[in-house]
Amino acid sequence: MMRAVIVDDEPNARAELRALLQASGEVEVAADCGNAVEALQAVRRERPDVLFLDVQMPVVDGFELLGMLDPDGQPAVVFVTAHDAFALRAFEESAADYLLKPVAPDRLRRTLERLRARAGLARAAPPLAPPLTRVPCLAGRAVKLVPLGEIELVRSGPAGVHVVTAQGELFTELTLKVLEERGGLLRCHKQHLVNPDRVDEIRPGDDVEAGAAVIRTRGGHDVPVSRRHLAQVRERLGF
Amino acid sequence: MMGRLLLTLFEAMAVFFVLFHLYSRSPAFTPARTDWLRPRAKLSLLLFFTGIAILGTYLGLPLAGGAIANTRAVGAVLGGMLGGPAVGVAVGLLSGAHRLTLGGFTAGAGAIATTLEGLMGGLVHRRLAAAAPDRLISWKLAFAVTAAGEVLHMGLLLAVSRPFQESVHVVQGIGVPMILANSVGAALFMTLLRDRHERYDRVAAATSARALRIAERTLGPLARGFDRSVAGELASIIQEETGVGAVAITDTETVLAFVGRGSDHHRPGLPIASPLTRGAIERHEVVFADGEHAHYRCAVSPDCPLDSAVVIPLVVDGAAIGTVQLLETARTRFRRLNRSLGEGIADLLSDQLLRARFHEQKSLLVLTELRLLQAQVDPHFLFNALNTVHAVTRTDPERARELLGHLSALFRKNLKRSAPLSTLEEELEHARAYLEIEKARFGDRLLVLTEVDPALLGLRLPTFTLQPLIENAVKHGLGATLGEATTRIRAYRQGAAAVIEIEDDAGAYAPRPGADGMGMSLVDRRIKNLLGAEWGVTVSCTPSALTRVSVRVPFEERAA
Repeated sequence: MMRAVIVDDEPNARAELRALLQASGEVEVAADCGNAVEALQAVRRERPDVLFLDVQMPVVDGFELLGMLDPDGQPAVVFVTAHDAFALRAFEESAADYLLKPVAPDRLRRTLERLRARAGLARAAPPLAPPLTRVPCLAGRAVKLVPLGEIELVRSGPAGVHVVTAQGELFTELTLKVLEERGGLLRCHKQHLVNPDRVDEIRPGDDVEAGAAVIRTRGGHDVPVSRRHLAQVRERLGF
Repeated sequence: MMGRLLLTLFEAMAVFFVLFHLYSRSPAFTPARTDWLRPRAKLSLLLFFTGIAILGTYLGLPLAGGAIANTRAVGAVLGGMLGGPAVGVAVGLLSGAHRLTLGGFTAGAGAIATTLEGLMGGLVHRRLAAAAPDRLISWKLAFAVTAAGEVLHMGLLLAVSRPFQESVHVVQGIGVPMILANSVGAALFMTLLRDRHERYDRVAAATSARALRIAERTLGPLARGFDRSVAGELASIIQEETGVGAVAITDTETVLAFVGRGSDHHRPGLPIASPLTRGAIERHEVVFADGEHAHYRCAVSPDCPLDSAVVIPLVVDGAAIGTVQLLETARTRFRRLNRSLGEGIADLLSDQLLRARFHEQKSLLVLTELRLLQAQVDPHFLFNALNTVHAVTRTDPERARELLGHLSALFRKNLKRSAPLSTLEEELEHARAYLEIEKARFGDRLLVLTEVDPALLGLRLPTFTLQPLIENAVKHGLGATLGEATTRIRAYRQGAAAVIEIEDDAGAYAPRPGADGMGMSLVDRRIKNLLGAEWGVTVSCTPSALTRVSVRVPFEERAA
């Protein structure tokens, strides 16, 4: 059985696709989500094999969502949309398939065949997702999209990944790996990223435990630099 | 002796005065000050004032020993003051040379003095013409310059002419009368010139004020197009403002309007009979029958009192589309002023007609755009709607049938509605079909609140006003939030206006060219075209909180 997550902002559209997938007998629908932020949570939680993704969604659309998924264990993506204006782009994003609403059961069966065939292959090439420009964060119950340039540093801990900006600290569903590879943030420590554009100074660490050096950001935050990442940090920052 | 001399000199002045008067009224004399500096005007000044100066020599009183008490200085000084140093010196040299040919022991001094006086006038001109031309035309200045010139003349006489004893005698005899007479003559001319200027300015001001008033009054009627009733209004306005005997407006074949004398037999609707009118239309040329050399002859009635006319073609886009005619009876002289006024009016009308035509084409274009917009179905909306019906069929077939009903109602209205105006009720009905489908698509996420004053349901709006605005509000509201979106539709009265407000709570409005802004600007243009420029659509936005689109249209209380 394939495990799937459905992402669509219309409840009827989700229900329809869920019914079709269940009727196929090949797919277990692990979750359905009404927006991109819910989808990020569901993907982390459920680790599905395939994501059925609507393109037009509020605030963060399907393409942007794709760029926020961790490349490790990324599910196959099938775009589901009402209009084929996005078809070409969907394939550029190396989607596994592309379905038009209303979805015909026969057409869905072909998609599932294609997915089965792909499952045997190692997913070597990660999708050419668009670069990440804003980071969805949770501020209480609200979702905030933080522009990448405003981020000073990112910290990962037992409570999850937190983004630090001049305004404060916010929780995000994105992983350090996505923020590093897609967002261009600089890895300076196993559990820390720093925004190279916000680095104010770098000085030797006064405490060996803390690391080989410490970066002071423009907002006045200190970020540890580990011995392992020091050379890379120096090179990137041009010291 | 002194008295007789003064009298002779003032006789000469009287002759000058008559000549000045004639000259200042002749076409060769252009009172527009800037024209002075043109070569042609300078030549005219040179010839006239040289003539005056030579005449001043002849009109003088010959004295014993070949001296002549004269008024030559007037021409030289005035030539210089009005024409500049070159003209002044030229007048002085020419009239001085002429004086030399008459001989006498004072001839040399006289010739030099006249040339210097021309130069003095010219230097005054150079000093003032650019900076303060009004101060140049001053009788005091002319008096002073001429007096100074004549004092110089007397000094030269004493210095140059020999025998000295004789010179002293001559200066004693003619000095005071010549200084006085020349200065007074020059001053007189300046007062005459100043008078002419003021009169010219007054007439020009009155003419342009009248033309402006006509322009202002005709703008309203012309905005409605160019037909018989508009032509009638225009003709009345023109006759009222110009006070001519009669005003006619024609198209290329018939009389559209006739107001004033002779309107008993010159009836609107008659074919054009006058060869003057046909000539004006064929040749795109103003035809003027001044009542002296050429007469206007009425082709309709032998008793027609009209005798002179100016017929001006209305040319729009290079084609004559009609004429404006000002007519006058035989007893009233046709004033030249009215001819140029008539030309101005025709220019004005042509411009306004061109604008009206442009406007009309624009409204046609708007209508075409509207049809496109109406016919254009957002494919996203259509397929998502069908997908919703698809899904609902599974669980609630009755609800699915309802949704299909709304969908077909919506598209039928899009395709069918062609009347330019609809009632608010029809507009809301149209929008309701759309909103029902959107509510089915988005469920709890979309909340629509409608608050309409029932008295406004009969309100007339351009067809297809609300639908695009509501669609925008719903799209923006839902697109900007992961949670719920509220769209409010309100209609209420505000004095003589009815206001319809459509709000979303996204506050994401940004005036963008193209995109969905097209719907809004199109709605605005249609309202302005159909209901007037003071009505239309305005947008206010509080970022991240509220976008409010307000439609203002006139509200008339009408019997139910």
